[in-house]
Amino acid sequence: MELFLQTLLNGLLQSGIYALVASGLALAVGVVGIVNFAHGEFLMIGAFLAWALSAYLGVDPLISLPFAALAVFGVGALTYRVSIRHVLLAPELNQMLLTFGLGILLQNVALMWLGGNTRTVTTPYQGSSLSLGDLSVGGPKAVAFGFAVAILAGLYAVLYRTTLGRQMRAVAQNRRGSQLIGIDVDRVYLIAFAVSCALAAVAGVLVAVLLFASPTVGLVFALKAFAIIVMAGLGNLTGVLWASVVLGVSEALVQTYVPGGGGWSDAVFFLLIFATLVFRSFRGAR
Amino acid sequence: MTREMGSRAREAARTVTRRPDFTARSLVPLGLFFGLALAFPFLPLGDRAEYLLQIAFFTLVAGVLALSWDILARSGQVSLAHAAFYGLGAYGFALLSKAMPWFLAMPLAAVLAGLISLILGAVTMRLSGMYFAIATLAFTEVVRTVIQNLPEPVAGGANGLLVPALLGGNARGQYFLAFGVLLFTALVSLAIRRSRLHHAFAAIRQGEETARVLGVSVVRYKLLAFFISSSLAALGGVLYAGKTFFINPLETFSLANSIAPLTTSIFGGLYTTLGPILGATVLRVAEELLHNSVKNGYLVVYGLVLMLSILWLPRGLMGLFKKGKQGGDL
Repeated sequence: MELFLQTLLNGLLQSGIYALVASGLALAVGVVGIVNFAHGEFLMIGAFLAWALSAYLGVDPLISLPFAALAVFGVGALTYRVSIRHVLLAPELNQMLLTFGLGILLQNVALMWLGGNTRTVTTPYQGSSLSLGDLSVGGPKAVAFGFAVAILAGLYAVLYRTTLGRQMRAVAQNRRGSQLIGIDVDRVYLIAFAVSCALAAVAGVLVAVLLFASPTVGLVFALKAFAIIVMAGLGNLTGVLWASVVLGVSEALVQTYVPGGGGWSDAVFFLLIFATLVFRSFRGAR
Repeated sequence: MTREMGSRAREAARTVTRRPDFTARSLVPLGLFFGLALAFPFLPLGDRAEYLLQIAFFTLVAGVLALSWDILARSGQVSLAHAAFYGLGAYGFALLSKAMPWFLAMPLAAVLAGLISLILGAVTMRLSGMYFAIATLAFTEVVRTVIQNLPEPVAGGANGLLVPALLGGNARGQYFLAFGVLLFTALVSLAIRRSRLHHAFAAIRQGEETARVLGVSVVRYKLLAFFISSSLAALGGVLYAGKTFFINPLETFSLANSIAPLTTSIFGGLYTTLGPILGATVLRVAEELLHNSVKNGYLVVYGLVLMLSILWLPRGLMGLFKKGKQGGDL
């Protein structure tokens, strides 16, 4: 029973990061209508920024978090201006393949520049742990979860309480209608896309603390984020939260209860995608 | 939006009213390519002959992969799972050739990969666009995870497998085998272009509902495209495994093997036979030139080419040659 509760807790903590990555992706899909295959690479940039600031300037990753977010917000805005904006009216596949190309480009620039090695960030609290009754939680994991929850709460507050958030939701619902009532759609797109990238970067900083930074670290998280937004329904922001918990907890269960589960847990997200897609397609939805 | 629909309707109309521009003349460049490829090993290549022949070999394999990817794309299924079938061909060949001679193991590995692709095809049947891409991307990752986690005596685990060298390691023989496979792939592609399949695939690509109304049995043709494409990709995997005589999951199922055929086809010219082959030649040679100066991250080129093609060259290289003809509605 204790093992079971511990497993649930681990899964829940893991899902914080998943939700952060996936809600960024869902924002891009929902508002801008772009499935960003380069999302994981923005996460990777965030992870490397955290590593670089910590290794060269001795800045704690959690302090460099807002800077990484701001920097990648800029990168995202630039990306939107230079590329995404020009394919908004193109067929869906062109958009998809464009971001896919961007992802490959970014990943391999990092590989060329920094090599394929993983870089770890050392923090004083890395080895610490908290205990809740009989259960114990790694310090960084708990901190990362706390940050994830706080940032997500901020995101939802912006979306549901501010004018900008209302504009974003309006654009998500009806592009043309929003334009008619005087919303600057292009500006909303730019901000939504850049915020989406910044969210990935924030997740990247946390990933650098929990795991490591490497050129390919983004792909795994991007794939899992895809699984989550597919489960939630493309562009559905609230669905992302419970879908992340489902993914996190089922991975933890596989890790604990399936023999040799460490390797197999990487396949869980795929089963969830398939189960969801097949279920949906047989129910008749697209 | 409307502009796109207009062009689709126009193309659909063109497909119906005009016979495909498939004349003896259009075969000349293709014939030229294969003539050159056939003569290549006999050219006086100097002391770097062995190295050049190896590059040429992998160019042919890249052509097989790209063209087989294109065949699937013709039915509207833009797959990110090509690495899976390439890898399944390589692994199938490695395991089968323990029990039988290579000329049996090769086609059998291809058929097996084709059959497995039917499973993926059946599940992703009703998915379109990005859902399809996401599902196929994930499929590759899972095939790799499964192979990696199978007990080591079965498939070598994460460490990989030794593969008997094709034709006892005779470089020239291997080159001609690859040449044969690419020629076969090109013939399959041309046969599809000539047959009813071409129209069925185009109709499905341009609108599944409409195709169904026109009496195209969508399920059957989509699966057929999957089977043909994946079997051919598996043949490419066999060539790769038999040439390098060592395979491991990480490299064989690498995302790069899905990216390369996709980029190559788009760069070369979608829905054509010559385009992907041409694209493979250009990109592969560029890659080799770059390999000498950059060790890591040569895929940068593929990413850049993919982005630039989509932004400025949506019909690929083929679009440079013939303006205003069909092909290229991604």
